[in-house]
Amino acid sequence: MTDHISEAVSWCLAAALLVVLVLLIRQRQITAGVRRRNATLEESLRARDEEVRHLVDVRLPSIADALSQPGPLPGLRDEKLAGTAFAQSLHAVMEQFTRAVDKAQSRADASAKAALKASMRAVQGLANEQQVSISEMQERHDNPDVLRDLLEIDHANAQFGRRAQAIAVLCGSWPGRQRLASSLTDVVRGAKSRIRDYQRVQVHALIDVAVVSRVVEPAVLAVAELLDNAARHSQPNTSVEVSLQPVHNGACIVIDDAGVGMDGLEVQRAAGLLSGQRAVDVVRLGDPPQFGFAVVGLLAGRYGFSVSVDTRSPYGGVRAVLFLPTELLTHVDPDARPGTAGQDPEGAEPLHTLPSRRTRPPRRAPHAPTVPAQAQEPSPIPRRAPAQSPIPHQAQAPAAHQAQSPAAHQAQAPHQAQPPAPAPAAPAPEPAPAPAPQLSPDGEGTRVYGTTAGGLPKRRRREAAATPPSGDWTTGAGQTGAADPDTGAFRARSAKETASRMGAFARGTRSGRSATQDSAAHHDEGNRQA
Amino acid sequence: MVRPYVVTDGRAYPTRNTFDLVTLVMAHPDRPLTGLSPEKRRVMELCLGGALSVAEVCGYLELPVSVTKVLLGDLVDSGHISARAPIPPAELPEVQLLQEVLDGLRARL
Repeated sequence: MTDHISEAVSWCLAAALLVVLVLLIRQRQITAGVRRRNATLEESLRARDEEVRHLVDVRLPSIADALSQPGPLPGLRDEKLAGTAFAQSLHAVMEQFTRAVDKAQSRADASAKAALKASMRAVQGLANEQQVSISEMQERHDNPDVLRDLLEIDHANAQFGRRAQAIAVLCGSWPGRQRLASSLTDVVRGAKSRIRDYQRVQVHALIDVAVVSRVVEPAVLAVAELLDNAARHSQPNTSVEVSLQPVHNGACIVIDDAGVGMDGLEVQRAAGLLSGQRAVDVVRLGDPPQFGFAVVGLLAGRYGFSVSVDTRSPYGGVRAVLFLPTELLTHVDPDARPGTAGQDPEGAEPLHTLPSRRTRPPRRAPHAPTVPAQAQEPSPIPRRAPAQSPIPHQAQAPAAHQAQSPAAHQAQAPHQAQPPAPAPAAPAPEPAPAPAPQLSPDGEGTRVYGTTAGGLPKRRRREAAATPPSGDWTTGAGQTGAADPDTGAFRARSAKETASRMGAFARGTRSGRSATQDSAAHHDEGNRQA
Repeated sequence: MVRPYVVTDGRAYPTRNTFDLVTLVMAHPDRPLTGLSPEKRRVMELCLGGALSVAEVCGYLELPVSVTKVLLGDLVDSGHISARAPIPPAELPEVQLLQEVLDGLRARL
């Protein structure tokens, strides 16, 4: 019996032991699993901590930096986290940060640009004003000593104006001047006027191509920046060679310097700026700020020319090529421009006829003296009708005038020599009676007036010709107002002339209206006579 | 657009001081125009038709007188133009001087 009991107890013990063993083993397994899990979780927590630190230390600053030097942003540090909710949250943080930085950046940029633009506009205006004063002084003073000083001031002022202009353009403003279509040579020389070392710039190959008026000032500014770069990055004893080349679909301005050249990285950066595609960030142009290529790229993109600097010059420096496509080019007829009367067929024969100043306002009238030789001509040769004159009504008027006024009477005072006014029936929009001042625009007091019996010329002092006040603008009307359709060159019309025209028009309208209203009040066409 | 210092290449002093406003300049048509700056070419074109006074050349070029004088000085040096003083008005001796001469002659004879 006891045997049975002891056996049973031992079996029970054995079973209990077995159970305990099994439980122990299981417990051990569970513990190991929990420990492993714990370790994994700890690891993961550390990884996340590190990831957050990585975000703060590396990834967020890189976003701020990426605005100046775009490049790939650093990703997650631990690839195991990719795709988890944690990684997505981090990504959201990055995106929000990027947006905030972008916004702050663009706001700062906009305000910097606005402030710079406004101040540079003011500076530019002052520089232009000063240039006008300097030009007046150059006209007024005949002394070479004074001229030398004025030239220096003028040069400094031109550079100063260019700087202001470049910054203003970079800040999104217009170049600020509208010019007439000008030849490519003048564009380059205008650019040359605005840089410090202009004497080192040699311009070769004068080609007969002009730039349309819209692009003149931008092209001048762009070439000036390129020339300035070329001159600044080369030895002072070397020259900067500029050549103008007509090419198949446009023209090129090639600027070669003998300077240090640019390495691959600089060329890449320059090409990026010159492409005109990238928005220029005013606050990130380096210190000192380098405006040159940024301005050139901006102008090129805006006006449709292109600039490249990736070739090496044969002199070892940089070769900059500014290419103007055909649509930006034109031909400028020197005759058609106001103030260049010299191309006029008559302009070059002053000894035989009186110098013609028809297409030019008598700006220098006080300076222009009588050429005594004129008075000794036996008899003035009849003026050639300027058939090649570019303006049709101008060509007709002198011819008509000549037909009815023979040579002997050519020397009459202008108001006497005027041909009859146009028939009142013809409502000419431009009442251009005759360029009578061609006879005496210079106010010379003497004229050949018949001859003596011995064949010598007689002179008569001209009586004070009280030119009617309207004479100024009526005669001027023959010369002004015509626009060259190609070059967009408007002949200058003085403010006074415009005002008097507008006044006449207004008076005419008013009188016409009042007459209509008085005489025929029931007519509803009030402007019938206007 | 092209400033005067570019036109004169920075010089303010003419190489000769023989010009005033009424000096007449005449171009020599046989000289080649190659190598001349646009302004100098223009002076040549203006003056080829006959003589022109300095003041008129300035007017056509739209340049200050002093700047034009520098250009004209260069052109005279290179033989492209020649300058001539204007024909002076006939100078008549003063009446008083004539009277004195007459008196002197009378006293002597």
